[in-house]
Amino acid sequence: MDAFQQIGPSLLASADGVAAKEPSMTGLAAYIAFVLIILFALMSYAKKGLGVRVFKNPITRLFEQLYLFIENMCISSIGQHGRKYIPMMMTFWMMIFVGNIMALLFPFAPTADLSFNLGMALIAVGYVQYEGIRTNGFFGHLRHFSGPKLSGVMVVISGLIFIIELISEVMKNVSLSLRLYGNIHGGHLAVDAMNNLGNKIYIPLGALVLLPIKVLTCVVQALIFTMLTCVYLSLVTHHEEDHAEPDHGQPAPAH
Amino acid sequence: MGTGLGLGVGVAALGVGIGLGLIGNGALQGMARQPEAIGKLQVQMLIALAFVELVFLLTVFVAPFLIK
Repeated sequence: MDAFQQIGPSLLASADGVAAKEPSMTGLAAYIAFVLIILFALMSYAKKGLGVRVFKNPITRLFEQLYLFIENMCISSIGQHGRKYIPMMMTFWMMIFVGNIMALLFPFAPTADLSFNLGMALIAVGYVQYEGIRTNGFFGHLRHFSGPKLSGVMVVISGLIFIIELISEVMKNVSLSLRLYGNIHGGHLAVDAMNNLGNKIYIPLGALVLLPIKVLTCVVQALIFTMLTCVYLSLVTHHEEDHAEPDHGQPAPAH
Repeated sequence: MGTGLGLGVGVAALGVGIGLGLIGNGALQGMARQPEAIGKLQVQMLIALAFVELVFLLTVFVAPFLIK
């Protein structure tokens, strides 16, 4: 782990140990609990406005828009049967987004820690495997890994494809977690470095200049995590009859 | 040690910057040619951006382990 601790000081201009302030596991758990409390409070408040025909509660409207967004994403990438994966995708989106946005207000964000991200990626990929097995059966799910159906001597190639697909399935965990961790943690390092630059003139350069791009990163990373989980789900759960129905919408007319 | 690390990260950032620029270029051209497809193009562009970004992040996290 010492190599990870060397990243901060060597990339920063002034190595005062500014970037190396990561909380302990208990602190991380407290941050995650804080995120969950925020989410539960918002959603219980949003639930109060559900009874009316046209939503007047602004939080309820916000969550309605978020739901429509996630639903559109699921249906456009998975297909018509993607509607049943919305709760999981919504949970991921809100958890990652609120976890990311914490860093703009508090000194640390839970998504800037690799262990939390790896846990979430394991849940996501495990959920994908579970849904694949539930849709196609255990052997049908394994058959997905071996690529197209080949005959004769080409079975050897199927075995090779199987091994490569297994490796790539495991690497999905790494890529999902490392992407989120690298973006959020790298953003913190960049803000710290910029703050150090403006230290002499008492202006927090990083907090001022990098704030818009950090907000953008928060949204985009939450979107990408959910979007990639949707794509993985669509790869393992597609049925044969789905190819017949036109769920991709009408092709746009050429101009 | 710090010099090599900084140089490696710089080279990685150079390549990834070119890749991101190419993706943005392609997506913008597609959007300009067909404004109806902006929604789909944006999502696909973001996915491609994520994959290219991952290369840089992998470089950043693997480079300190290589220098010993």
